[in-house]
Amino acid sequence: MTAIRLEALGLTHPGGRVALAHLDLTIAAGERVAVIGPSGAGKTTLLRVLGASLRPSHGAVRVLDVDPWALSGPLLQGLRARIGKMHQSPPIPPRQRVITAVLAGRLGQWSVWRALRSLIYPLDVPGARAVLDRLGLGERLFDRCDQLSGGQLQRVALARVLYQQPALMLADEPVSALDPALARAVTVALNDDARRRGATLVASLHAVELARSEFSRVIGLRDGRIVFDCPAAQLGDADIAALYAGAAATPAMPEASPVRPRLTRCA
Amino acid sequence: MGARRGGWIVLGLALAVLASVWRLDLIAALGAGRDGLGELLRFVARFATPDLAPAFLATVGQGALETVAISLIGTLLAVIGGAALALPASGRFGWLARSAARFALNALRSVPELVWATLTVLAAGLGPFAGTLALALHTSGVLGRLYAEALENAPPVPEAALRDAGAGGLAAFFYGTLPAAAPQWIAYGLYRWEINIRMAAILGFVGAGGLGAQLYYALSLFQEARAATLILAMLLLSLAVDALSGVLRRRLAG
Repeated sequence: MTAIRLEALGLTHPGGRVALAHLDLTIAAGERVAVIGPSGAGKTTLLRVLGASLRPSHGAVRVLDVDPWALSGPLLQGLRARIGKMHQSPPIPPRQRVITAVLAGRLGQWSVWRALRSLIYPLDVPGARAVLDRLGLGERLFDRCDQLSGGQLQRVALARVLYQQPALMLADEPVSALDPALARAVTVALNDDARRRGATLVASLHAVELARSEFSRVIGLRDGRIVFDCPAAQLGDADIAALYAGAAATPAMPEASPVRPRLTRCA
Repeated sequence: MGARRGGWIVLGLALAVLASVWRLDLIAALGAGRDGLGELLRFVARFATPDLAPAFLATVGQGALETVAISLIGTLLAVIGGAALALPASGRFGWLARSAARFALNALRSVPELVWATLTVLAAGLGPFAGTLALALHTSGVLGRLYAEALENAPPVPEAALRDAGAGGLAAFFYGTLPAAAPQWIAYGLYRWEINIRMAAILGFVGAGGLGAQLYYALSLFQEARAATLILAMLLLSLAVDALSGVLRRRLAG
Protein backbone atom coordinates (compact mmCIF):
# COMPACT_ATOMS: atom_id res chain seq x y z
CA MET A 1 0.00 0.00 0.00
CA THR A 2 1.33 3.41 -0.89
CA ALA A 3 0.64 6.35 1.38
CA ILE A 4 1.61 8.95 -1.17
CA ARG A 5 2.19 9.00 -4.91
CA LEU A 6 3.06 12.15 -6.82
CA GLU A 7 3.45 12.07 -10.60
CA ALA A 8 4.90 14.99 -12.55
CA LEU A 9 3.47 17.22 -9.87
CA GLY A 10 3.89 20.98 -10.19
CA LEU A 11 2.51 23.95 -8.33
CA THR A 12 2.66 27.52 -9.57
CA HIS A 13 1.35 30.26 -7.29
CA PRO A 14 -1.19 32.72 -8.75
CA GLY A 15 1.59 35.32 -8.99
CA GLY A 16 3.50 33.07 -11.39
CA ARG A 17 6.14 31.95 -8.88
CA VAL A 18 6.93 28.26 -9.25
CA ALA A 19 6.85 26.54 -5.84
CA LEU A 20 7.10 22.90 -6.96
CA ALA A 21 8.25 21.66 -10.33
CA HIS A 22 7.83 18.19 -11.82
CA LEU A 23 7.99 16.08 -8.67
CA ASP A 24 7.78 12.29 -8.82
CA LEU A 25 7.59 10.73 -5.40
CA THR A 26 6.26 7.52 -3.89
CA ILE A 27 6.10 6.95 -0.15
CA ALA A 28 5.01 3.52 1.12
CA ALA A 29 2.77 3.11 4.13
CA GLY A 30 4.80 3.06 7.35
CA GLU A 31 7.78 5.02 5.98
CA ARG A 32 9.15 7.85 8.09
CA VAL A 33 10.45 10.56 5.79
CA ALA A 34 12.28 13.77 6.63
CA VAL A 35 12.22 16.61 4.10
CA ILE A 36 15.16 18.99 4.39
CA GLY A 37 16.26 21.95 2.36
CA PRO A 38 16.96 25.69 2.56
CA SER A 39 14.27 28.27 3.22
CA GLY A 40 11.95 28.75 0.28
CA ALA A 41 12.71 25.30 -1.12
CA GLY A 42 9.01 24.42 -1.18
CA LYS A 43 8.85 22.21 1.93
CA THR A 44 5.71 23.82 3.31
CA THR A 45 4.00 23.80 -0.08
CA LEU A 46 4.87 20.11 -0.56
CA LEU A 47 3.44 19.22 2.85
CA ARG A 48 0.26 21.14 2.13
CA VAL A 49 -0.16 19.27 -1.15
CA LEU A 50 0.38 15.96 0.69
CA GLY A 51 -2.17 17.05 3.30
CA ALA A 52 -4.90 17.65 0.69
CA SER A 53 -4.92 21.32 1.70
CA LEU A 54 -3.48 22.78 -1.48
CA ARG A 55 -4.45 21.73 -4.99
CA PRO A 56 -1.49 21.28 -7.36
CA SER A 57 -1.62 23.04 -10.71
CA HIS A 58 -0.07 20.18 -12.72
CA GLY A 59 0.33 16.45 -12.40
CA ALA A 60 -1.35 13.83 -10.26
CA VAL A 61 -1.47 13.36 -6.50
CA ARG A 62 -2.74 10.35 -4.57
CA VAL A 63 -2.92 10.44 -0.78
CA LEU A 64 -3.82 7.26 1.14
CA ASP A 65 -4.71 5.66 -2.23
CA VAL A 66 -7.20 8.31 -3.35
CA ASP A 67 -7.04 11.44 -5.46
CA PRO A 68 -8.21 14.11 -2.99
CA TRP A 69 -9.33 16.48 -5.73
CA ALA A 70 -11.66 13.92 -7.28
CA LEU A 71 -13.55 13.59 -3.98
CA SER A 72 -16.78 15.32 -3.05
CA GLY A 73 -16.80 17.67 -0.04
CA PRO A 74 -17.74 15.16 2.69
CA LEU A 75 -15.33 12.52 1.36
CA LEU A 76 -12.49 15.05 1.19
CA GLN A 77 -13.31 15.98 4.79
CA GLY A 78 -13.17 12.28 5.67
CA LEU A 79 -9.75 11.96 4.02
CA ARG A 80 -8.44 14.98 5.93
CA ALA A 81 -9.65 13.43 9.17
CA ARG A 82 -7.16 10.58 8.51
CA ILE A 83 -4.25 13.03 8.10
CA GLY A 84 -2.72 14.58 11.20
CA LYS A 85 -0.84 17.87 10.90
CA MET A 86 1.68 19.68 13.07
CA HIS A 87 2.80 23.24 12.43
CA GLN A 88 5.73 25.33 13.53
CA SER A 89 3.47 27.45 15.75
CA PRO A 90 0.71 25.45 17.43
CA PRO A 91 -2.71 26.55 16.10
CA ILE A 92 -4.39 26.39 19.53
CA PRO A 93 -6.55 29.16 21.03
CA PRO A 94 -4.67 30.52 24.09
CA ARG A 95 -7.71 30.41 26.37
CA GLN A 96 -8.57 26.79 25.61
CA ARG A 97 -7.96 24.13 28.22
CA VAL A 98 -5.28 21.56 27.42
CA ILE A 99 -7.75 18.68 27.44
CA THR A 100 -10.08 20.43 24.97
CA ALA A 101 -7.17 21.22 22.66
CA VAL A 102 -6.15 17.54 22.68
CA LEU A 103 -9.67 16.16 22.22
CA ALA A 104 -10.08 18.49 19.22
CA GLY A 105 -7.83 16.02 17.37
CA ARG A 106 -10.82 13.70 16.86
CA LEU A 107 -13.29 16.36 15.70
CA GLY A 108 -13.06 14.85 12.22
CA GLN A 109 -14.27 11.51 13.57
CA TRP A 110 -16.87 12.80 16.03
CA SER A 111 -20.40 13.84 15.22
CA VAL A 112 -21.26 17.48 15.78
CA TRP A 113 -23.34 16.59 18.85
CA ARG A 114 -20.53 14.63 20.40
CA ALA A 115 -18.19 17.58 19.75
CA LEU A 116 -20.55 20.09 21.37
CA ARG A 117 -21.27 17.77 24.31
CA SER A 118 -17.55 17.44 24.92
CA LEU A 119 -17.31 21.23 25.27
CA ILE A 120 -19.69 21.09 28.23
CA TYR A 121 -17.85 18.22 29.85
CA PRO A 122 -14.76 16.56 28.25
CA LEU A 123 -15.86 13.15 26.99
CA ASP A 124 -12.58 11.22 26.91
CA VAL A 125 -10.51 12.31 29.91
CA PRO A 126 -8.60 8.97 30.16
CA GLY A 127 -7.71 9.03 26.45
CA ALA A 128 -6.36 12.58 26.59
CA ARG A 129 -4.51 11.85 29.84
CA ALA A 130 -2.86 8.75 28.37
CA VAL A 131 -1.49 10.71 25.41
CA LEU A 132 -0.32 13.65 27.55
CA ASP A 133 1.33 11.28 30.05
CA ARG A 134 3.52 9.94 27.26
CA LEU A 135 4.74 13.51 26.65
CA GLY A 136 5.20 14.39 30.34
CA LEU A 137 2.21 16.74 30.46
CA GLY A 138 -0.35 14.59 32.28
CA GLU A 139 -0.41 17.07 35.17
CA ARG A 140 -1.48 19.95 32.95
CA LEU A 141 -4.69 18.32 31.68
CA PHE A 142 -7.04 20.98 33.04
CA ASP A 143 -4.75 24.02 32.73
CA ARG A 144 -5.37 26.72 30.21
CA CYS A 145 -3.04 26.75 27.21
CA ASP A 146 -1.92 30.35 27.84
CA GLN A 147 -0.35 29.11 31.08
CA LEU A 148 2.03 26.84 29.14
CA SER A 149 5.48 27.63 27.77
CA GLY A 150 6.11 27.50 24.02
CA GLY A 151 7.66 24.05 24.26
CA GLN A 152 4.78 22.71 26.34
CA LEU A 153 2.27 24.15 23.90
CA GLN A 154 4.00 22.43 20.98
CA ARG A 155 3.80 19.16 22.92
CA VAL A 156 0.05 19.75 23.36
CA ALA A 157 -0.17 20.16 19.59
CA LEU A 158 1.74 16.88 19.25
CA ALA A 159 -0.65 15.25 21.75
CA ARG A 160 -3.56 16.39 19.58
CA VAL A 161 -2.09 14.67 16.52
CA LEU A 162 -1.26 11.50 18.50
CA TYR A 163 -4.80 11.45 19.89
CA GLN A 164 -6.18 11.77 16.36
CA GLN A 165 -4.35 8.50 15.45
CA PRO A 166 -4.09 9.43 11.76
CA ALA A 167 -2.86 7.05 9.07
CA LEU A 168 -0.60 9.83 7.74
CA MET A 169 1.20 12.37 9.91
CA LEU A 170 2.56 15.56 8.35
CA ALA A 171 4.72 17.88 10.42
CA ASP A 172 5.83 21.23 9.01
CA GLU A 173 8.94 22.28 10.92
CA PRO A 174 7.43 21.06 14.19
CA VAL A 175 10.59 21.62 16.23
CA SER A 176 12.10 24.78 14.70
CA ALA A 177 11.05 26.94 17.66
CA LEU A 178 12.18 24.45 20.33
CA ASP A 179 15.47 24.03 22.16
CA PRO A 180 17.64 21.10 20.95
CA ALA A 181 16.72 18.68 23.75
CA LEU A 182 13.00 19.27 23.34
CA ALA A 183 13.33 19.19 19.54
CA ARG A 184 14.82 15.70 19.78
CA ALA A 185 12.17 14.55 22.27
CA VAL A 186 9.31 15.72 20.03
CA THR A 187 10.88 14.18 16.92
CA VAL A 188 11.46 10.89 18.73
CA ALA A 189 7.86 10.85 20.00
CA LEU A 190 6.52 11.39 16.46
CA ASN A 191 8.67 8.58 15.09
CA ASP A 192 7.85 6.19 17.94
CA ASP A 193 4.15 6.73 17.42
CA ALA A 194 4.43 6.20 13.66
CA ARG A 195 6.45 2.99 14.20
CA ARG A 196 4.07 1.65 16.84
CA ARG A 197 0.93 2.18 14.75
CA GLY A 198 2.49 1.55 11.35
CA ALA A 199 1.51 5.08 10.31
CA THR A 200 3.33 7.11 7.66
CA LEU A 201 5.24 10.20 8.79
CA VAL A 202 6.51 13.06 6.65
CA ALA A 203 8.23 15.93 8.48
CA SER A 204 10.12 18.94 7.23
CA LEU A 205 13.10 19.84 9.39
CA HIS A 206 15.88 22.35 9.66
CA ALA A 207 17.90 20.14 11.99
CA VAL A 208 19.79 17.85 9.59
CA GLU A 209 21.14 15.67 12.40
CA LEU A 210 17.62 14.82 13.60
CA ALA A 211 16.62 13.93 10.04
CA ARG A 212 19.52 11.51 9.77
CA SER A 213 19.24 9.89 13.18
CA GLU A 214 15.47 9.49 13.64
CA PHE A 215 13.91 8.99 10.19
CA SER A 216 14.14 6.10 7.77
CA ARG A 217 14.41 8.18 4.61
CA VAL A 218 15.56 11.71 3.82
CA ILE A 219 14.49 13.86 0.87
CA GLY A 220 16.47 16.97 -0.05
CA LEU A 221 14.35 19.68 -1.63
CA ARG A 222 15.61 22.85 -3.28
CA ASP A 223 13.89 25.34 -5.56
CA GLY A 224 10.84 23.10 -5.75
CA ARG A 225 12.79 20.06 -7.00
CA ILE A 226 14.03 16.89 -5.35
CA VAL A 227 17.83 17.03 -5.13
CA PHE A 228 18.29 13.67 -3.41
CA ASP A 229 16.05 10.97 -1.99
CA CYS A 230 17.75 8.15 -0.10
CA PRO A 231 17.65 6.02 3.06
CA ALA A 232 18.85 8.04 6.03
CA ALA A 233 21.76 5.67 6.60
CA GLN A 234 23.17 6.32 3.11
CA LEU A 235 23.02 10.10 3.29
CA GLY A 236 26.50 11.61 3.00
CA ASP A 237 27.84 14.94 4.20
CA ALA A 238 28.57 15.92 0.60
CA ASP A 239 24.86 15.62 -0.31
CA ILE A 240 23.93 17.97 2.51
CA ALA A 241 26.65 20.46 1.70
CA ALA A 242 25.47 20.51 -1.92
CA LEU A 243 21.85 20.95 -0.85
CA TYR A 244 22.56 24.07 1.20
CA ALA A 245 25.44 25.45 -0.90
CA GLY A 246 24.98 29.15 -1.56
CA ALA A 247 21.55 29.22 0.07
CA ALA A 248 20.67 32.45 1.83
CA ALA A 249 19.52 30.97 5.14
CA THR A 250 21.72 28.77 7.28
CA PRO A 251 20.10 25.45 8.09
CA ALA A 252 20.35 25.88 11.85
CA MET A 253 18.33 29.07 12.00
CA PRO A 254 14.56 28.95 12.38
CA GLU A 255 13.19 31.06 9.57
CA ALA A 256 10.32 32.68 11.39
CA SER A 257 9.33 33.72 14.87
CA PRO A 258 7.02 31.18 16.49
CA VAL A 259 4.09 33.61 16.65
CA ARG A 260 3.80 34.02 12.89
CA PRO A 261 0.74 32.15 11.65
CA ARG A 262 2.00 29.52 9.25
CA LEU A 263 -1.13 27.73 8.26
CA THR A 264 -3.37 29.33 5.71
CA ARG A 265 -7.01 28.64 5.04
CA CYS A 266 -7.81 25.25 3.62
CA ALA A 267 -8.40 25.21 -0.09
CA MET B 1 -3.38 83.47 18.90
CA GLY B 2 -4.56 80.54 21.04
CA ALA B 3 -5.78 82.85 23.81
CA ARG B 4 -7.74 84.96 21.37
CA ARG B 5 -9.43 81.88 19.86
CA GLY B 6 -10.29 80.68 23.40
CA GLY B 7 -11.89 84.07 24.09
CA TRP B 8 -14.08 83.79 21.01
CA ILE B 9 -15.17 80.29 22.01
CA VAL B 10 -16.15 81.46 25.53
CA LEU B 11 -18.04 84.40 24.08
CA GLY B 12 -19.85 82.13 21.64
CA LEU B 13 -20.83 79.71 24.41
CA ALA B 14 -22.07 82.57 26.60
CA LEU B 15 -24.21 83.88 23.74
CA ALA B 16 -25.62 80.40 23.16
CA VAL B 17 -26.55 80.07 26.88
CA LEU B 18 -28.20 83.50 26.88
CA ALA B 19 -30.13 82.71 23.72
CA SER B 20 -31.33 79.41 25.22
CA VAL B 21 -32.51 81.09 28.44
CA TRP B 22 -34.36 83.67 26.40
CA ARG B 23 -35.85 81.06 24.06
CA LEU B 24 -37.07 78.83 26.92
CA ASP B 25 -38.50 81.77 28.87
CA LEU B 26 -36.71 80.56 31.99
CA ILE B 27 -36.64 84.02 33.56
CA ALA B 28 -40.35 84.44 33.05
CA ALA B 29 -40.95 80.98 34.53
CA LEU B 30 -39.00 81.81 37.70
CA GLY B 31 -40.41 85.32 37.81
CA ALA B 32 -43.96 84.02 37.56
CA GLY B 33 -43.81 84.34 41.27
CA ARG B 34 -42.07 82.92 44.25
CA ASP B 35 -45.13 80.77 44.17
CA GLY B 36 -43.76 78.79 41.20
CA LEU B 37 -40.56 77.99 43.03
CA GLY B 38 -42.40 77.24 46.27
CA GLU B 39 -44.74 74.90 44.46
CA LEU B 40 -41.73 73.05 43.07
CA LEU B 41 -40.15 72.71 46.53
CA ARG B 42 -43.40 71.49 48.06
CA PHE B 43 -43.66 68.92 45.25
CA VAL B 44 -40.14 67.63 45.98
CA ALA B 45 -40.89 67.51 49.71
CA ARG B 46 -43.79 65.12 49.14
CA PHE B 47 -41.23 62.58 47.88
CA ALA B 48 -39.23 62.76 51.13
CA THR B 49 -41.36 60.16 52.91
CA PRO B 50 -41.46 56.96 50.87
CA ASP B 51 -44.44 54.65 51.42
CA LEU B 52 -43.05 51.64 53.29
CA ALA B 53 -46.29 49.83 54.12
CA PRO B 54 -45.67 46.05 53.91
CA ALA B 55 -48.52 45.45 51.47
CA PHE B 56 -47.16 48.07 49.10
CA LEU B 57 -43.60 46.82 49.51
CA ALA B 58 -44.80 43.36 48.46
CA THR B 59 -46.26 44.89 45.29
CA VAL B 60 -42.98 46.71 44.65
CA GLY B 61 -41.12 43.43 45.15
CA GLN B 62 -43.32 41.80 42.52
CA GLY B 63 -42.62 44.71 40.15
CA ALA B 64 -38.88 44.49 40.82
CA LEU B 65 -38.89 40.77 40.08
CA GLU B 66 -40.79 41.43 36.87
CA THR B 67 -38.27 44.10 35.86
CA VAL B 68 -35.34 41.76 36.55
CA ALA B 69 -37.06 39.03 34.55
CA ILE B 70 -37.72 41.38 31.62
CA SER B 71 -34.11 42.57 31.52
CA LEU B 72 -32.64 39.10 32.00
CA ILE B 73 -34.77 37.27 29.42
CA GLY B 74 -34.54 40.23 27.03
CA THR B 75 -30.75 40.23 27.25
CA LEU B 76 -30.51 36.43 26.94
CA LEU B 77 -32.68 36.45 23.82
CA ALA B 78 -30.49 39.25 22.48
CA VAL B 79 -27.32 37.24 23.14
CA ILE B 80 -28.79 34.36 21.12
CA GLY B 81 -30.16 36.62 18.37
CA GLY B 82 -26.98 38.69 18.27
CA ALA B 83 -24.81 35.57 17.98
CA ALA B 84 -27.04 34.17 15.23
CA LEU B 85 -26.74 37.40 13.23
CA ALA B 86 -23.05 37.93 14.03
CA LEU B 87 -22.05 34.73 12.20
CA PRO B 88 -23.27 35.90 8.76
CA ALA B 89 -22.38 39.54 9.58
CA SER B 90 -18.73 38.58 10.09
CA GLY B 91 -18.65 37.34 6.51
CA ARG B 92 -18.54 33.56 6.98
CA PHE B 93 -21.37 32.83 4.54
CA GLY B 94 -20.40 35.17 1.71
CA TRP B 95 -20.93 38.83 0.99
CA LEU B 96 -24.65 38.57 0.30
CA ALA B 97 -25.43 37.08 3.72
CA ARG B 98 -22.99 39.57 5.23
CA SER B 99 -24.78 42.57 3.73
CA ALA B 100 -28.21 41.23 4.65
CA ALA B 101 -27.16 40.53 8.25
CA ARG B 102 -25.49 43.94 8.60
CA PHE B 103 -28.65 45.63 7.29
CA ALA B 104 -30.80 43.70 9.78
CA LEU B 105 -28.45 44.61 12.65
CA ASN B 106 -28.50 48.29 11.69
CA ALA B 107 -32.29 48.28 11.50
CA LEU B 108 -32.66 46.58 14.89
CA ARG B 109 -30.14 48.89 16.52
CA SER B 110 -31.27 52.21 15.10
CA VAL B 111 -34.80 51.87 16.51
CA PRO B 112 -34.59 52.77 20.25
CA GLU B 113 -36.00 50.42 22.91
CA LEU B 114 -38.86 52.80 23.74
CA VAL B 115 -39.99 52.89 20.12
CA TRP B 116 -39.72 49.09 19.89
CA ALA B 117 -41.79 48.91 23.09
CA THR B 118 -44.60 51.06 21.70
CA LEU B 119 -44.65 48.74 18.67
CA THR B 120 -44.50 45.49 20.67
CA VAL B 121 -47.21 46.70 23.04
CA LEU B 122 -49.42 47.21 20.00
CA ALA B 123 -48.48 43.79 18.62
CA ALA B 124 -48.34 41.66 21.79
CA GLY B 125 -50.56 43.61 24.17
CA LEU B 126 -49.73 45.41 27.42
CA GLY B 127 -47.42 43.59 29.81
CA PRO B 128 -43.94 42.23 30.45
CA PHE B 129 -43.83 40.14 27.27
CA ALA B 130 -43.90 43.31 25.16
CA GLY B 131 -41.06 44.80 27.24
CA THR B 132 -38.95 41.66 26.93
CA LEU B 133 -39.44 41.59 23.18
CA ALA B 134 -38.56 45.28 22.82
CA LEU B 135 -35.32 44.88 24.77
CA ALA B 136 -34.43 41.71 22.87
CA LEU B 137 -34.92 43.39 19.48
CA HIS B 138 -32.85 46.50 20.13
CA THR B 139 -30.13 44.69 22.09
CA SER B 140 -29.81 42.01 19.37
CA GLY B 141 -28.81 44.77 16.99
CA VAL B 142 -26.24 46.20 19.41
CA LEU B 143 -24.75 42.87 20.49
CA GLY B 144 -24.81 41.42 16.96
CA ARG B 145 -22.55 44.16 15.70
CA LEU B 146 -20.12 43.88 18.64
CA TYR B 147 -20.13 40.08 18.36
CA ALA B 148 -19.39 40.23 14.63
CA GLU B 149 -16.44 42.54 15.29
CA ALA B 150 -15.11 40.17 17.95
CA LEU B 151 -15.35 37.31 15.44
CA GLU B 152 -13.55 39.29 12.75
CA ASN B 153 -10.73 40.11 15.17
CA ALA B 154 -10.32 36.51 16.36
CA PRO B 155 -7.30 34.78 14.78
CA PRO B 156 -8.45 32.54 11.89
CA VAL B 157 -5.61 30.02 12.19
CA PRO B 158 -6.98 27.65 14.88
CA GLU B 159 -10.30 27.12 13.10
CA ALA B 160 -8.60 26.71 9.71
CA ALA B 161 -6.28 24.08 11.21
CA LEU B 162 -9.23 22.09 12.57
CA ARG B 163 -11.04 22.27 9.21
CA ASP B 164 -7.83 21.08 7.60
CA ALA B 165 -7.86 18.07 9.94
CA GLY B 166 -11.34 17.08 8.79
CA ALA B 167 -13.52 18.83 11.40
CA GLY B 168 -16.95 20.05 10.34
CA GLY B 169 -17.68 23.77 10.11
CA LEU B 170 -19.71 24.04 13.32
CA ALA B 171 -17.31 21.97 15.44
CA ALA B 172 -14.29 23.87 14.07
CA PHE B 173 -15.96 27.16 14.95
CA PHE B 174 -16.75 26.06 18.51
CA TYR B 175 -13.25 24.66 19.11
CA GLY B 176 -11.19 27.12 17.05
CA THR B 177 -12.72 30.58 17.01
CA LEU B 178 -15.24 30.78 19.85
CA PRO B 179 -12.61 30.42 22.63
CA ALA B 180 -11.02 33.66 21.38
CA ALA B 181 -14.31 35.55 21.05
CA ALA B 182 -16.23 34.18 24.05
CA PRO B 183 -14.72 36.43 26.76
CA GLN B 184 -15.72 39.52 24.80
CA TRP B 185 -19.15 38.06 24.04
CA ILE B 186 -19.77 37.43 27.74
CA ALA B 187 -18.47 40.84 28.82
CA TYR B 188 -20.61 42.68 26.23
CA GLY B 189 -23.68 40.63 27.22
CA LEU B 190 -23.27 41.43 30.92
CA TYR B 191 -22.68 45.11 30.17
CA ARG B 192 -25.86 45.26 28.11
CA TRP B 193 -27.70 43.56 30.96
CA GLU B 194 -26.69 46.47 33.24
CA ILE B 195 -28.08 48.92 30.70
CA ASN B 196 -31.21 46.85 30.15
CA ILE B 197 -32.16 46.68 33.85
CA ARG B 198 -32.47 50.49 33.76
CA MET B 199 -34.25 50.37 30.44
CA ALA B 200 -36.66 47.68 31.69
CA ALA B 201 -37.61 49.99 34.56
CA ILE B 202 -38.47 52.74 32.09
CA LEU B 203 -40.30 50.61 29.50
CA GLY B 204 -43.27 50.33 31.90
CA PHE B 205 -44.14 53.91 31.00
CA VAL B 206 -45.33 52.76 27.61
CA GLY B 207 -47.18 49.80 29.11
CA ALA B 208 -44.48 47.14 29.01
CA GLY B 209 -44.75 45.99 32.64
CA GLY B 210 -42.40 46.00 35.65
CA LEU B 211 -41.53 48.80 38.08
CA GLY B 212 -41.95 51.40 35.36
CA ALA B 213 -45.64 50.62 34.96
CA GLN B 214 -46.16 51.00 38.74
CA LEU B 215 -44.22 54.28 38.77
CA TYR B 216 -46.31 55.56 35.92
CA TYR B 217 -49.55 54.76 37.78
CA ALA B 218 -48.27 56.30 41.03
CA LEU B 219 -47.26 59.53 39.31
CA SER B 220 -50.52 59.69 37.36
CA LEU B 221 -52.46 59.44 40.64
CA PHE B 222 -50.17 61.98 42.44
CA GLN B 223 -49.06 59.30 44.95
CA GLU B 224 -45.64 60.86 45.52
CA ALA B 225 -44.78 58.68 48.54
CA ARG B 226 -45.31 55.53 46.49
CA ALA B 227 -43.40 57.01 43.55
CA ALA B 228 -40.48 57.71 45.91
CA THR B 229 -40.47 54.06 47.04
CA LEU B 230 -40.49 52.89 43.43
CA ILE B 231 -37.63 55.19 42.45
CA LEU B 232 -35.61 53.90 45.42
CA ALA B 233 -36.37 50.34 44.36
CA MET B 234 -35.13 51.07 40.83
CA LEU B 235 -31.95 52.57 42.23
CA LEU B 236 -31.26 49.56 44.48
CA LEU B 237 -32.05 47.16 41.66
CA SER B 238 -29.63 48.74 39.24
CA LEU B 239 -26.91 48.94 41.91
CA ALA B 240 -27.41 45.25 42.70
CA VAL B 241 -27.27 44.26 39.02
CA ASP B 242 -24.14 46.36 38.46
CA ALA B 243 -22.41 44.61 41.35
CA LEU B 244 -23.53 41.14 40.28
CA SER B 245 -22.54 41.75 36.67
CA GLY B 246 -19.12 43.01 37.80
CA VAL B 247 -18.51 39.82 39.78
CA LEU B 248 -19.69 37.61 36.91
CA ARG B 249 -17.56 39.50 34.42
CA ARG B 250 -14.43 38.99 36.50
CA ARG B 251 -15.14 35.29 36.95
CA LEU B 252 -16.32 34.39 33.44
CA ALA B 253 -14.44 36.73 31.16
CA GLY B 254 -11.23 37.31 33.12
